[in-house]
Amino acid sequence: MSPISQEFAPPFKLIAPFFILGAIFYLVASLFLFAFDASSLSFLNPLVISFVHIFLLGFVMMTIFGAMAQLVPVVLEVGHFGVELFYAIWPLLLVGTLLMAGGFLYSSALLPYGGVVVLISMMIFVGEIFLTIKKVEKFNVVMSSVLLSNTFLFFGIIFGLVMALGYAGTIAVDVTALLKAHVYLVVGGYITITIMGLSVVLLPMFGLSHGFSLKSLHIALYMMSFAVVSVVLASLFDWSVLSYIGYVVSIVSLFIYFYQVYIIYKTRARKENDIYAKSLFFAYISLVVSLLMGVLYLVSEDESLLLASLFLLFFGFIGFAITGHVYKIIPFLVWFERFSPLVGKEKVPMLVDMLPVKSSSAQFIFTSIGVVLITIAILLGNSQLIGAGASFLSVGAVALLRSVLYMINYK
Amino acid sequence: MAIYSKEELFLAISTVIDPEVGFNLVEMGLIYDAVCDDEGNVKVTMTLSTKACPMHQLIQQWVKEAVEKMANIKEVEVEVVWEPVWNITMADDNVKKALGAG
Repeated sequence: MSPISQEFAPPFKLIAPFFILGAIFYLVASLFLFAFDASSLSFLNPLVISFVHIFLLGFVMMTIFGAMAQLVPVVLEVGHFGVELFYAIWPLLLVGTLLMAGGFLYSSALLPYGGVVVLISMMIFVGEIFLTIKKVEKFNVVMSSVLLSNTFLFFGIIFGLVMALGYAGTIAVDVTALLKAHVYLVVGGYITITIMGLSVVLLPMFGLSHGFSLKSLHIALYMMSFAVVSVVLASLFDWSVLSYIGYVVSIVSLFIYFYQVYIIYKTRARKENDIYAKSLFFAYISLVVSLLMGVLYLVSEDESLLLASLFLLFFGFIGFAITGHVYKIIPFLVWFERFSPLVGKEKVPMLVDMLPVKSSSAQFIFTSIGVVLITIAILLGNSQLIGAGASFLSVGAVALLRSVLYMINYK
Repeated sequence: MAIYSKEELFLAISTVIDPEVGFNLVEMGLIYDAVCDDEGNVKVTMTLSTKACPMHQLIQQWVKEAVEKMANIKEVEVEVVWEPVWNITMADDNVKKALGAG
């Protein structure tokens, strides 16, 4: 086996904990929903804040960081600066997430500790990515998106730590004023721009799409970056007009990004409807519906629309975009480590053979039903429907965990 | 006179399968050319379906090994080129049909 190839596929034992923990946190976040009471849902409800951190830090960030250990060299076309640093990232992120989630629920005194541990974990991640980016000689739009998203993450976590200190009463800051900046930097600036950039590499790679323009992606990236900076400045200086402009521009940016994805979809050669294609299809439909609800919120200012829109964005778009890719990334890494040395010597499985057909289908069906039910439940303010949706989501989450373990242990 | 014809070299390379799509590199249309001189030196010109392929070096290695298994081969050079850019029309009909692009 060529030693150079290892740069593009780090050892699986390094990445496996990210995916296993991500799936466990996804299940925990799903179980959290049973405790939700539709009448008391708000952004300042500690249960909601704790749930959001379990989902975003424990599932989204944990899984994205693990995936980035493999995807960064693929996207940047250079080897990692120090991929071993990822051994330190997941334990710190795990402890930090637990402290923060517990802090919001039980004792705000835990928040500064959780915030600092998360900060250290993410600084290691961002530092490693920046040092890897330094090796890149010629930048393209995808590489620029990685640089941009990690810069936003850097500021997003600093805002988060300041908020954690303020929430615990250690320093005096207006937590509510900083909330929008924190959310926009992390969700808009990091998660969304990361998905935008990586998707134009991964969607064509798996769909065998060719001959499409990336003009829409350029526009979407500029607009999302402008929106994030606008909302941050608006939060710092209390400029509500700028904040509103930021919301509108970010929504338009995501519609333009959706158009980019549509172009890639139209030019794809591979038209199988496997679990990857179905997951991504659900993710992008969720994105559009979520954006439409966001537009309605801007017009009506009905908070239930915003909550439903964000839930659909998180569990529908981000959740399915991640789980869909998990079904591609884990088999590849396991295959690379266990079976690639056997090529030419004995019969080896194809990547598709390593997918658990039943549990991946169960995950897709139960989770998609759960997401739809809870979105409707939030709009209607119906607690029983939230419970019903949580049941479906939890079964889906168990199926995801089972699928992850199956793929990791495939022999 | 060449020891092996282009067809014979392609036949040897057709044992290399892309594990993601499940087809061999020749039927995918990824092998552009293969020549062998009278001393057994082989040059394979190929492409990949995407520049971002994480198995780039590995696939190159497999192609090299597949040719090296042939008798009397001295040296194998595998060059990956990006022009012309690969697209699905370069694949065999059975591949297009199986992928839903036929």
